[in-house]
Amino acid sequence: MSKNQRMYLVPFWVRVWHGINAVLILVLTVTGISLHFADPGRMLVEFSLAARIHDIAGVLLVAAYTFFVLANIVTGNWSQYVPATPNVFARCMAQAKYYAVGIFRGETHPHKTTAEARYNPLAAVTYWAVMYLLMPVVLVSGLVFMFPQFAPDRIFGMDGLLPIAMLHYLSGAVVVMFMIAHIYLGTMGKRFSSLYRMMINGWYEH
Amino acid sequence: MKSVCQDFSAPVVWLYFLYNRFTQVPEIIQINPGFLTLDAPKPAISENTSRWDYHAIGMRKILKALTFFTFLILIAGSGSVLAQTDKGDLALAEEVRKANKECESCHTEDALVELPRDDLDLARLKDLLVDPHKYKGSNHGHMMCSECHGDGYSAYPHDKKAPESLAACDECHASKVLKVEPQFDISIHANIVTDAFSCSSCHDPHIALIAKKFTDVRMVVAQDNHMCLHCHDSDLVFAQYAPPDNEKSGLKKVRPNLISIHKWLPNAALHWENVRCVDCHTPFSKKLSHEIVGKDKAERNCIACHSKNSELATRLYRQMGLEQEKKYGFDNSAILANSYVIGATRHPLLDGIVLIMTIVTLGGVLAHGAFRLIAAFSRRRKSK
Repeated sequence: MSKNQRMYLVPFWVRVWHGINAVLILVLTVTGISLHFADPGRMLVEFSLAARIHDIAGVLLVAAYTFFVLANIVTGNWSQYVPATPNVFARCMAQAKYYAVGIFRGETHPHKTTAEARYNPLAAVTYWAVMYLLMPVVLVSGLVFMFPQFAPDRIFGMDGLLPIAMLHYLSGAVVVMFMIAHIYLGTMGKRFSSLYRMMINGWYEH
Repeated sequence: MKSVCQDFSAPVVWLYFLYNRFTQVPEIIQINPGFLTLDAPKPAISENTSRWDYHAIGMRKILKALTFFTFLILIAGSGSVLAQTDKGDLALAEEVRKANKECESCHTEDALVELPRDDLDLARLKDLLVDPHKYKGSNHGHMMCSECHGDGYSAYPHDKKAPESLAACDECHASKVLKVEPQFDISIHANIVTDAFSCSSCHDPHIALIAKKFTDVRMVVAQDNHMCLHCHDSDLVFAQYAPPDNEKSGLKKVRPNLISIHKWLPNAALHWENVRCVDCHTPFSKKLSHEIVGKDKAERNCIACHSKNSELATRLYRQMGLEQEKKYGFDNSAILANSYVIGATRHPLLDGIVLIMTIVTLGGVLAHGAFRLIAAFSRRRKSK
């Protein structure tokens, strides 16, 4: 593959943050499952160990997220998550149609990747929703879970921690589902491994 | 029934109605009306039969009326006895109040503000104070002090032998003690602490209220943990019962620091507020008992409580009604009323939905990938 078919696309800090984020979310998923579905005989990680790891990884994820938001503001990287106009909806539909039909027919990718628009509109909108809507819910509910004195004392005749715990569990489950889809969609590059390599060395193959 | 109720408005009529309902003579007996008149000869089958029957019926009516009045007198009698008992209770309560006030005049903190007399032995008295409000709310609160403390206290200075008259717990709680003793005998308290250790070392009879009487689990936790912390969080009290740590030196065992020995337990402070020490410090293989175990044998398996079949349901929450079970579809919802216990207070339906959605996502991407591969191979084959 010659050099002119590559484009340096992903800044170093985004790749470092992405790697840390990925590891932390995997750890939180495994320990979170161990805690929520705790049962004699089928433990992924021993309960008290899982509790400690989940706490530490959770705090680190809050730190990583704070870094991500601040760095996005400072570097202007935030604009990557706002799909470029015009026809955002139509282009999102075109992208969805490509995943549903076009890809099986060997059609070309509807989005032209550039340094200004790294992600296709559907990906940009999804990343925006995950990072700016879903993640705050997971992280804030997780922090309240960690410091239950900030939770309401009682709600509907039950422990006030219940809605916090439910929110954390359900939003966490959505993050896991996003992660599954995200890992799979990572195979959608020029080759199966192209996008994985891009997230390590920063170079986009086209 | 409604018309009957309206007709039978007077209590006496009501009683008669009830009496008839429950004393109706079975038909088989009624065939022979002379049956109830024991001394009446059996009616012969003759022309006179109807005359005998006539007498017998008359006797029966008289007997029935007599029985009814006896019934009435009994009811009225028992009513007045009950009323007297009420009066008796009031009089007894007054007597208890009066007698206990005598003791309270010295043995409370309030009494120390203005000493009732000058010759009190304050050094001893300071360890013999009772909170009268707590005492009145306790299980023993309706009892006279002297019921346990015996005689010899009516005058001051008290009789030197008076402490000997202190009643043992099993004088009233014999069956309980019989049940508890074998459990206690194998507990760490029986094995390592000094002989000074007894029921009241933990169960202060002037305070204790049985768990059943509490409506809030956190109050049960607070009371029961106070029993343990009374010694285990005080070097002074701990030393009273502590065994010698080293036989040669004769030095007493030093009280272990609770925070450092519970370091392994995540969110230790949160646990101490919401579960009892004994919930872990009794063997899980048995029912909750008086077999208190030390750190080596105490339960460290988190999922004994943090799982669907949580031990908490049969321990701390055993007094809390099972009617709360499955409230809003949650497992262990009786626990959830007080604490969200991860692993235990789960929602099976919600968990099922989350699990299915995750499997669908995973299955979806795997199927998509498989179709992509198949499509790619078939395209390659066509292009060849």
